Amino acid sequence: MAKADTTVHTLGTSDLPESYWQSAFMDNWGVLSRHTIGRIGLALLALFALMAIGSFIPPLIDPIYNPMSGVDPGISYASAPSWKHWLGTDFIGRDIFSQLLAGARIAFLVGISAAFISIFLGTAIGIVAGYAGRWTDTVLMRMADIVMVMPTLLVLLIMSALFGQLNIWTIVLLIALFRWPGVSRVIRAQTLTLKHRPFIEAAKIAGASHLRIIVRHLLPNVLPLALLYMTFRVTSAIVIEAALAFLGFGDPGTVSWGMMLQWVWKTGHMFQAPWWLLPPGICISLLTLAFYMLGRALEEVLDPRLRREDPEE
Amino acid sequence: MTLNRYILRRLIEIGISFFIILTGLFLLFHLAPGDPVARMVDPSMTAEDELRLIAQLGLDQPLWHQYLKFVANFFSGNFGISFHYGKPVSQVIADRLPNTVLLFTTAVILSALAGVWLGKIIAWLKGRPIDTAVTIGALVCHTLFLPWIALLIIWLLGYQWGWFPITGMISPEVWIDPGATLLAKSIDVLHHMVLPMLTLFLIHFGSYLLIMRSSMLDTLAEDYIYTARAKGLPERMIRDRHAAPNAALPVVTSVGLSLAFSINGGALTEKVFSWPGIGRELVFAVSNNDYPLALGCFLLIAAVVLLANLVVDVLYAFLDPRIRY
Repeated sequence: MAKADTTVHTLGTSDLPESYWQSAFMDNWGVLSRHTIGRIGLALLALFALMAIGSFIPPLIDPIYNPMSGVDPGISYASAPSWKHWLGTDFIGRDIFSQLLAGARIAFLVGISAAFISIFLGTAIGIVAGYAGRWTDTVLMRMADIVMVMPTLLVLLIMSALFGQLNIWTIVLLIALFRWPGVSRVIRAQTLTLKHRPFIEAAKIAGASHLRIIVRHLLPNVLPLALLYMTFRVTSAIVIEAALAFLGFGDPGTVSWGMMLQWVWKTGHMFQAPWWLLPPGICISLLTLAFYMLGRALEEVLDPRLRREDPEE
Repeated sequence: MTLNRYILRRLIEIGISFFIILTGLFLLFHLAPGDPVARMVDPSMTAEDELRLIAQLGLDQPLWHQYLKFVANFFSGNFGISFHYGKPVSQVIADRLPNTVLLFTTAVILSALAGVWLGKIIAWLKGRPIDTAVTIGALVCHTLFLPWIALLIIWLLGYQWGWFPITGMISPEVWIDPGATLLAKSIDVLHHMVLPMLTLFLIHFGSYLLIMRSSMLDTLAEDYIYTARAKGLPERMIRDRHAAPNAALPVVTSVGLSLAFSINGGALTEKVFSWPGIGRELVFAVSNNDYPLALGCFLLIAAVVLLANLVVDVLYAFLDPRIRY
């Protein structure tokens, strides 16, 4: 059985020498880092990651910089940027810069965990549907079709109508539960093309179980594609959470960028306090842009056909 | 004949999908903590009215009976009575639906046309600095956070420059005036529509442009484009008459596929601009615990998305004679 594993593999097995991985990584990294859009995306992501890590610092300096509960005792109105408050304060004197940093942390938290769960679900369902075929495939893909046409934001709204205030993890879970079908369609299509390749047949003849074929032979081959889709899922999860918070249905215990925008809007400061209105929106837009750019660059790394078409984009 | 058969099959599938959504909502409605009766019956009703409504909606019956009643009520257009408006939900929805359709379809069609047009030109200029600039611009448009850009547009065009009204769909003074002509009223609505439409346009335009660009690049590599060149056709003719129509097909598909995403955006836009449409009504209903209205709006939107996907697929078959069902 172990013999079967070393037969014709297209890409990705555990039996290849260490240097193969190294050179493959360097090749792909080369393409990615030469890619202008990919480079911008990575740089932006690094910046936001720094912000997220830095979000722990301001409350340590002085409790008035706590994004949620810290209030500057001298200020009880929305004040413009100053040395003490780099981006000004909100309507009750909370520091906007530290809120912005805390928002970065929430955005990464929501984006990455929701994307991870939905990719996990999507990949599992896609592989099973593609590999099993017949009625399993039909049922799973019909289910995907139904979930796919549901506007996720509105579903979340209905859920919060029925279940009351949703907390951040429920929101993450719900986003993930409604965002897997796109991934599973792609993974299923990929599985279908792999299913009849000689290495799968060989594994079958060698007596590998279905589970083994799925985990050892199919999964490594569809994983790069799943990772690519993860970047796009991160984007949509961040946007949906922000939109939900903007409409006033976010987790009241968190400071997210959408929440900040809701405060500006609801307290009627959007015409008076540009220092408060601009930063959260710029951050949401730039962070989604960064993941999107990274996704497009990864697409090119994974699909050499695109690489040839756009040599120097 | 085959197309009719295909449509019939899809309609049956849509019916099944809708049934599943309906069942799911019914279950959620009864599983959620709290009293399902209290959700459907306005607390401010008189006891007599309350009993009548409970009987009408079948809320005093066993669960399976309630389910049948729920489905039957839905198909006869009876969603219950909105708490806030005190009117049947179907009536509220019927008032709001044309507004949403007006705003949404105009914005989607305009942005698709603009995206196809610019995408075509940009693909032709591939590799030049202008191509990179427009591609990045389109990426930025596509990833803008909708409520935020809506607020910025209001701030700049509505507040700072004061060119357009900030909220709503009509100015009461124009509509109360008995001497106002239909033209004056239409201009008033259009005037209110500019800002929300601009918002939706910006969000959709970028993605249509990107799709058109890459699909156009694929098309330009096809053999029949070489043939056209070999025949000595002018470049403009090749671009506009030979390549573009074929390349525009994926844009049609993407309009259908991204519909769920667009509807989210539509609801946000309506909310920010107080445009009296279904999306705003849904957000409003959820904020005010007006369950019958929220449910009605949601089911309607789900039905529209399902049907719109079918329309897009059929349209695709008309546009592309190679597609056979």
